[in-house]
Amino acid sequence: MALAEICKISNASYMRPTAWATDDVNELKSYASNFENPYTLAAPPFANPVENLNKIQANADKTGIKIEFDHGTTTLGFKFKGGVILAVDSRATGGQYIGSQSMKKIVEINDFLLGTLAGGAADCVYWDRVLSKECRLHELRNKERISVAAASKIMANIAHEYKGMGLSMGMMLAGYDKRGPGLYYVDSEGSRTAGNLFSVGSGSIFAYGVLDSGYDYNLEDEAAQELGRRAIYHATHRDAYSGGIIRVYHMTKNGFKVISNEDCEMLHYKYQAEKAAQ
Amino acid sequence: MSFLSIDHFSDYKVHGAQRPDFSPYESNGGSIVAIAGDDFAVIAADTRLSSGYSIHSRTQTKLFQLSPLTVLGSTGCWCDTLSLTSLMRVRMQMYEHTHLRTMTTDAVAQMLSITMYNRRFFPYYVSNILAGIDKNGKGVVFSYDPIGHCENAKCRAGGTAGPLLQPVLDNQIQLKNMNLDEKDKPILTKERAVSVASDTFISAAERDIYTGDFVEIKIITKDGIESMTINLRKD
Amino acid sequence: MSILAYNGGCVVAMRGKDCVAIATDHRFGIQAQTISTDFKKVFNIAPRMFLGLTGLQTDILTVRDRVMFRKNLYETRENREMAPKPFSAMLSSFLYEHRFGPYFIEPVIAGLDPKTFEPFICNMDLIGCPNVPDDFVVAGTCAEQLYGMCETLWRPNLEPDDLFEVISQSMLNAFDRDAMSGWGATVYVIEKDKITERTLKTRMD
Repeated sequence: MALAEICKISNASYMRPTAWATDDVNELKSYASNFENPYTLAAPPFANPVENLNKIQANADKTGIKIEFDHGTTTLGFKFKGGVILAVDSRATGGQYIGSQSMKKIVEINDFLLGTLAGGAADCVYWDRVLSKECRLHELRNKERISVAAASKIMANIAHEYKGMGLSMGMMLAGYDKRGPGLYYVDSEGSRTAGNLFSVGSGSIFAYGVLDSGYDYNLEDEAAQELGRRAIYHATHRDAYSGGIIRVYHMTKNGFKVISNEDCEMLHYKYQAEKAAQ
Repeated sequence: MSFLSIDHFSDYKVHGAQRPDFSPYESNGGSIVAIAGDDFAVIAADTRLSSGYSIHSRTQTKLFQLSPLTVLGSTGCWCDTLSLTSLMRVRMQMYEHTHLRTMTTDAVAQMLSITMYNRRFFPYYVSNILAGIDKNGKGVVFSYDPIGHCENAKCRAGGTAGPLLQPVLDNQIQLKNMNLDEKDKPILTKERAVSVASDTFISAAERDIYTGDFVEIKIITKDGIESMTINLRKD
Repeated sequence: MSILAYNGGCVVAMRGKDCVAIATDHRFGIQAQTISTDFKKVFNIAPRMFLGLTGLQTDILTVRDRVMFRKNLYETRENREMAPKPFSAMLSSFLYEHRFGPYFIEPVIAGLDPKTFEPFICNMDLIGCPNVPDDFVVAGTCAEQLYGMCETLWRPNLEPDDLFEVISQSMLNAFDRDAMSGWGATVYVIEKDKITERTLKTRMD
């Protein structure tokens, strides 16, 4: 057990001899350890959770046990002269099955900070919630809003902390601070990049095509919103794992605005009619 | 699991013999349907508890009443269901002792999500659906993935027959692909929700071997919870 | 991912009163990527008989061509139209010939007998185990969803118009919950004296 002592895993709940545990409340707390400190998730009773969970998955045909997490898909964001545009789809798939067509893939962290989510839905939502707590605390401590750079750094640190454990996140953080509009890409591998234009998710290759052909820093507000919407629409049409509702958000110096929440089906026939009319 | 694998004890290997690794999970089957209405929520689950081709119990309820306005339906690995629901019960009682009021359905929904995410690296193998009345008196349904992604929905099916039941709910409750005029749309009454829920279970019992025996339906309103049971196929 | 789900797609057939209906989606994809949206997986092989094939697209086309050849040979030799029942027996033995290197398809057959006009539906697994029920058959990536829908909506002795409504609703709502099929749908209703083909307006995502 010496190794266990050095690694401090002898403190983990599953290592403790529960039969003669006297402090029931503390034991109970250990089962929901992340209530008090969101960064302390329960340790798994085996090393290397990525590999071992995959082994359970690999046996799925025989056992019928399929742990399929909801996965989110096409998201994009770009900076232009009027601020930042974020556009996302709303489909969540577990394997081939469409679990939801109405998922919210833009998380409103606060009025001046938005996060998009792709990858594991639970991972993104949970850590965005933690991030929003950290951002609020920063505001209270420092009497000013957190910068997008700092917020994205918090997120990247979380990702780095859990690197190799199997988290799956690919998010963009968009905001407006004293340095102007900000857009960062952060993922579960721990990378963090500032940029003018990103698209994340399985449909991103399709969205990039539309985005690159139509993007210009000097776009007017309306044209920029339409570009985002159209790029997501084309991604939903070609990519099986994207679809549902297309949500467009616009981050300006006065906070974010919800531009539209439109159903793909309606948009498809609208664009078809426009094409026919030309 | 690797630490229990025979590969670590090569002296004991028998050529040609297959040794399935120990699995910490089991699928015990069962399905849940929940529908949210204006001032009510309906949640239904079958009562069959099985393992592989054998049936452990025909009368095991999968609905857990957590508060007078909240019911949790949970299927999957039954031992995970039991440990998760008892943990929820205790945490809710602690909340009640600290704050001197019962947790609202929305608060329970958020807590369930965080509780499940705690086991991110060794998930509870469960399919959860939470139904209840929210703080504004409206019916709400929340559904979860195994690591606690929570989504508010109007109607939801989960468990082994989830993929069979969900399109029926989309069609009959959300009226997807119906192209009805506003005036022709049927109003979602308690009676309609209950009859759709029981009909979907009758269909699911025809095709899913893990769903059957009885369907237990709970109708949640602000005045309390009404319970009923309907017979399903038992083969 | 199963090879049967590599290209996506689904087919469903139903029996009605003196009629049968068969429906197909339009998607041809390679895993998540949609290549085209006008690939119908249902083929008219005799005046009152349709063959639906789901699974791997290359095998769909091969099997269609090879059974068409066998069917034409049968009709030339016998000098009469092939009925659905012998056709399905032929397809079944054709598939079983490839027992140890099967075509990755799941067929669905729907038709009326050329003499008695008796409705007939049938589906098989990829090595030709036939199943001839008196209600409905499904195949493809959203088979589970289709089973749920059909089981709820189907009733015995549906008239052609009602049958069309039931099969369309089953198809649309089932593939709206499946990532790998959809992108348009076509329904064929086969009656004694006519075949109606209708294209449905669907979600395109």
